[in-house]
Amino acid sequence: MIGQASQETKVAEKPAIAVRNLDFYYGDNKALRNITMDFQRRKVTGMIGPSGCGKSTLLRVLNRMYDLYPGQRATGEVLFAGRNVIGSGVDINRLRARVGMVFQKPTPFPMSIYDNIAFGVKLHEKLSRSEMDARVEDVLRRVALWGEVKDRLKASATALSGGQQQRLCIARTIATRPEVVLLDEPTSALDPVSTARIEELLDELKKEFTIAIVTHNMQQAARCADQVAFFYLGELVEMDSTDRMFTAPKETRTQDYITGRFG
Amino acid sequence: MSEGNGSIRDDGWKVNSTLAMRRRLMDRLATVLSLLATSVALIALGSILFTLVVRGVGGLSLITFTHSTASPGQEGGLANAIVGSLIQTAMAILIGAPVGMMCGIYLSDYGRGWLASTTRFVSDMLLSAPSILIGLFIYQLVVVPSGQFSGLAGSLALAILALPIVVRTTEDMLRLVPISLREAGIGLGASKWRVIVFICLRAAKTGVLTGILLAVARVAGETAPLLFTSLGNLDWSVSLTRPMASLPVTIYQYAGSAFEDWVQLAWTGALLVTLGVLFINILVRIGFGRKGA
Repeated sequence: MIGQASQETKVAEKPAIAVRNLDFYYGDNKALRNITMDFQRRKVTGMIGPSGCGKSTLLRVLNRMYDLYPGQRATGEVLFAGRNVIGSGVDINRLRARVGMVFQKPTPFPMSIYDNIAFGVKLHEKLSRSEMDARVEDVLRRVALWGEVKDRLKASATALSGGQQQRLCIARTIATRPEVVLLDEPTSALDPVSTARIEELLDELKKEFTIAIVTHNMQQAARCADQVAFFYLGELVEMDSTDRMFTAPKETRTQDYITGRFG
Repeated sequence: MSEGNGSIRDDGWKVNSTLAMRRRLMDRLATVLSLLATSVALIALGSILFTLVVRGVGGLSLITFTHSTASPGQEGGLANAIVGSLIQTAMAILIGAPVGMMCGIYLSDYGRGWLASTTRFVSDMLLSAPSILIGLFIYQLVVVPSGQFSGLAGSLALAILALPIVVRTTEDMLRLVPISLREAGIGLGASKWRVIVFICLRAAKTGVLTGILLAVARVAGETAPLLFTSLGNLDWSVSLTRPMASLPVTIYQYAGSAFEDWVQLAWTGALLVTLGVLFINILVRIGFGRKGA
């Protein structure tokens, strides 16, 4: 892992996900217009913009969550691991294991902490008892939850605090060994301390995963993201490195939004 | 500008006394009326329970549980009726609950269009259908072709009665499971049925179980659907292919008889059924109470 990471500075890697000319419709309502952007490998891409601008919609295209709802459809290309994943003939369940998702509200399953993690793993791998134990411990350590729950792995996950639940959900997501982790406003339901812990966690996780995070919180985008994309009314207005986006955006709309003039 | 008690005068506190009086009167009237309505219902319920206990408790002896029904004047009990009721109710739930749950799952997660709305409509109609019709239906479908009344036919009739209750509660409870929980399961790469069975049903467990227990309570006390199906049996029999006794049917037959000991057993049987149903309802209460619903 470390070897790969240092190599990356020399050779520009292919993006983990490349979105090309993507349009998205809720029924007749066009929610995304001609989006073209790259999600760089092992970087954090922040997605900002006012409510209804399409940033969450784009996130839900990347793992085809929209498939659940008839009437929602996407056209264009989302290239991931050599395939256009919004085309036909893609194993959607495999796609969702490789492109994991963490939601706005913590969503622990009504089962034990251990089973919350084992549930997703069992869908894709046959592990022995000891291998599963090791996997559970590994991911819980990585989200800094192991110390807090190691003595009550069999206890119900719904009894954890909101911040702990969200870290468990992240652990559950990375337990299926995805390449990309999508986070949809993962801290908007959490207190500042829990938020800070999740943000620290992102710094750790990006060493291994490609991360796309939707956030309403401008400081969060500035703190966590390597590159930031600004969406407005279903369009990608501008995308650049975090530094440049927050100091010298090219578009006035970006400027207005990040300085709080609207949104 | 201060008044005697030290407060400052402010006309905003002034009250239109006629309006206030009328409002208070209406409030009193509504309170009295609803208390009255409540007490009428409570008195009726209380007197039923009281009469049942007073009349029924005398027949609660060991013989009632160890002996089957017998001719008047002989030492008879309710053993065959009790066991018959237990068997038929259990069979009904074993058949009705899984089918009802699957149907509820279909309605909440898969059904779209006319088939789903028709299913829901038929299920709701079954919920309020006269139970004797269901007895007649099974009579035509099972009893007539097989040439005899049977415990199985009784169980089937009760299963049909239990079905819509389970369908309704399963659908309602599954709909209460937040969409975010489903998406979280789907997001891990789980198939739809796996998410429903291992996540949604688990989240809705208390509610679905409550529905099943309510169905038990409902069918345990049914008489009409059994009259044309399991008929009743004066002797001990646990065979599903032969007529089978049950508490409600025995009560029905004994309560109107001229023999004192039969009437006594009818009261005792009624008490047993009531206590059973009461017990289930309390169980449901406790189950729900824990969830804070």
